Amino acid sequence: MLTLPRRPLRIATATGLTLIIAALIVAVLWAILDAATGASGGSRVDLAHLLRMTALQAGLTMVLSLGVGVAVAWALNRLRFFGRDLVVGLFAAAIVTPGMVVAFGLLSIWGRNGWINQAAQSLFGFSFDSPAYGLSGILIAHVVLDGAFAARILLARLDAIAQSRLKVGQSLGLGAVQRFRLIDWPAMRGSLPGLGAIIFLLAFTSFPIVLLLGGGPANQTLEVAIYTAVRLDFDLAGAVRLALTQIAVCSVVILIASAFTPVPSALSRSAQPNWRDARPVRAVQWLVLVLATLGFALPLLNVLYEGLAGGLFRVLEQASFWRATATSVIIGASSAALTLALALVLALGRSATAQRVGRTLLGVPAYAYLAVPAVVLSLGFFLLVRALGVPSGAAAPVVVVIANSLLSLPFAMATLGPPLDAVLRSRGKLIRSLGLSGWQQFTAIEYPLLGRDIGLMLALAFCFSLGDLGVIALFGTQDFQTLPLMMYRALGSYRSNDAAAIAALLLIFTIAAFVGLPRLIERIAHAPRR
Amino acid sequence: MVKSSSLALAVLIAGFSGSAIAQGKPTLTIYTYDGFASEWGPGVPLKDGFEATCNCTVNWVAADSSIGTLRKVQLEGESTEADMILGLDTAIAGEARATGLFADHGLALSDLALPGEWTDAQFVPFDYSHFAFMHDTDTMPVPPASFEELIALPDDIKIAIQDPRSATPGLGLMLWVKAAYGERAPEIWAGLKPHILTITREWSESYALFLDGEADMVLSYTTSPAYHIFDEDDHTIKAAMFSEGHFPQIEVAGILKSSDQQDLARDFLAYLTSVEGQKVIPTTNWMFPVVDLGTELDASFEGLPQPDKTLTLEESEIIANSPAWIEEMLAAVQ
Repeated sequence: MLTLPRRPLRIATATGLTLIIAALIVAVLWAILDAATGASGGSRVDLAHLLRMTALQAGLTMVLSLGVGVAVAWALNRLRFFGRDLVVGLFAAAIVTPGMVVAFGLLSIWGRNGWINQAAQSLFGFSFDSPAYGLSGILIAHVVLDGAFAARILLARLDAIAQSRLKVGQSLGLGAVQRFRLIDWPAMRGSLPGLGAIIFLLAFTSFPIVLLLGGGPANQTLEVAIYTAVRLDFDLAGAVRLALTQIAVCSVVILIASAFTPVPSALSRSAQPNWRDARPVRAVQWLVLVLATLGFALPLLNVLYEGLAGGLFRVLEQASFWRATATSVIIGASSAALTLALALVLALGRSATAQRVGRTLLGVPAYAYLAVPAVVLSLGFFLLVRALGVPSGAAAPVVVVIANSLLSLPFAMATLGPPLDAVLRSRGKLIRSLGLSGWQQFTAIEYPLLGRDIGLMLALAFCFSLGDLGVIALFGTQDFQTLPLMMYRALGSYRSNDAAAIAALLLIFTIAAFVGLPRLIERIAHAPRR
Repeated sequence: MVKSSSLALAVLIAGFSGSAIAQGKPTLTIYTYDGFASEWGPGVPLKDGFEATCNCTVNWVAADSSIGTLRKVQLEGESTEADMILGLDTAIAGEARATGLFADHGLALSDLALPGEWTDAQFVPFDYSHFAFMHDTDTMPVPPASFEELIALPDDIKIAIQDPRSATPGLGLMLWVKAAYGERAPEIWAGLKPHILTITREWSESYALFLDGEADMVLSYTTSPAYHIFDEDDHTIKAAMFSEGHFPQIEVAGILKSSDQQDLARDFLAYLTSVEGQKVIPTTNWMFPVVDLGTELDASFEGLPQPDKTLTLEESEIIANSPAWIEEMLAAVQ
């Protein structure tokens, strides 16, 4: 049994934060129940059917996304080519781009009037039945969003495999299959439960994509029912009941994911690989990469193309665009900073305990936002802010920052958790023998080793915040406008060209953040040492 | 770290609330839906127009949807900042009225140019249009002329519609079918089912599907073509007129009883329904004005068809039956 350095303060702080987040969720639900007046109209929802359909959809999404993610990460780890960083950035960009943008990008390729069908029409004179609608459409969209994200996170783990390990493997003459099984798989394994849970929950609670591509009420999620209860029926007690159902289901998934014992993963950064797989294997890797790029990148490239070709200048001329950009960047940066603080508190506390129960409990709060329906969270925050006597317009930026941080938290934990565990497993003895304090342990060991992961995490949190619309609904005033909000407003005012241009610009910001931030932070983290 | 971040939040909150210091002039706070208050919507010119004469400040507060404005006021209760809600439509006006939150407007509105006579004591109409399916004359030169003709088309003719639980046009379509077919509504929905490409959450999503060529027709308004004529000089997008008649959407505004600016609010409603105020509406909200603007109505609206027949439903009937009708519709297309 491995002994970790004693860090009671870390565990206490993380426990405190866990309690705060739990209290916040309870307060949100309580505020709504408190506002609920009169008898509820009784639920008109076929819960069993909804849960079955949603669980099926989310389960399939999770399995497919993880499969695709592992394959793509494997291929990307082996191959080096010009523009690789851009491809990696593009892959990561999918999950943080507003779902609607990705969905419409997909339709431009796979839709009834998409490139594939248009090509088939002009080449063969007939068109296919588009796979982009119904359950298959939902799955394609979710796998593009989540599979690419999984690939990005897993790639970080593969790229961190120690050079020495690779050298030993190479000298043993491992074949491609053995290399994957003995070297790659152990490095990725630790990230899979967290990733799987995130993807399952994202798909379970996905709302606009399911409605857009689902083709009708047969494919729907619990979130839609909750939205109906809150908005149309104004049955707040019913909404809380449905929300609790969703929280219960999600908690099962979260507990399973958090209960997994940590798997040591590697930390170093691999240089150019001089260990190439055999030629046929490389051909497979290229094939995976080309298919993935076509699948993931084409829809996004089409978003760029449509946006830049259309109303770009009309948008750039508008003062409101620049104001919205500034608001988005400030909100994004604040959210990213808050996310980092929250994630570090939780992840440091979690990695400091070897107890199963402790680790499980400290892993749970990260998923709070995913389990609680956005419309319920938004409503609860709104009521809480009013109860505090703060004008809702004034509270909007603060609430948006908090909500965005909670939204990014599971992704931040998935990024920082495994490498932090690895640090303690590989350097724990050293830390103990040197008698380092908690602060020294962080500044001298953890922070430098985590630089790149912190950068990736900041990029994720920043971009999530940039692209999210989530809780702003009840707080919005015309003065507080973020880029995605401006995009939806343009779309709602017939201005599809403006909306396309804003979508393209959002995507460019996102990719830039993903390419730039991890490098920047790694440079900062290593600066004092050079 | 927790401490310092919550401290930062406290400072932020203090900073923001400090900036909201009241000014000398009275403020009229109006809750409306997002699109109305957006920079392209009627909100900005109406604010400028009214402020020029009222010695007051108009403060638009946007919610994500028109029903969202009502829910927000209901949640805020007596302490709401809102003096008025603008942007409810006739399909949800009954429910809004039943809350007892709205005061009488006291305006004489019998001269308005609406599809029917206006006698509502609480709500003031400010624009209208009829729900209709759009088609593109390049890809569908001859549109169906009724629901039954639409149903009879080959299954690969697809329509995009909206969820009646989240979008007002979706609710409008449900009521349209009910008003036209009554007991036969489930049969019509079952007939439409193979044509339904998808049921989106918002109007904008289905409309985008239509513009991208994914759907052959989309549920929108008889006035939607005006945007494409006005802004893009595109005359190919047209509304298909149905022989059953069309169900209207009339958008209304109402003063809240809790407001301490009753007179100012009434003045605003008078301005909103004046020629001056109504001139703003057509080319910003893409709906018909409620007064006859004569030659001042933009040319893009001139050729738009008006339905032969406007269908209606009693408000009490809508309140009593909407949930059941929505269930009925969803079950039929499931």
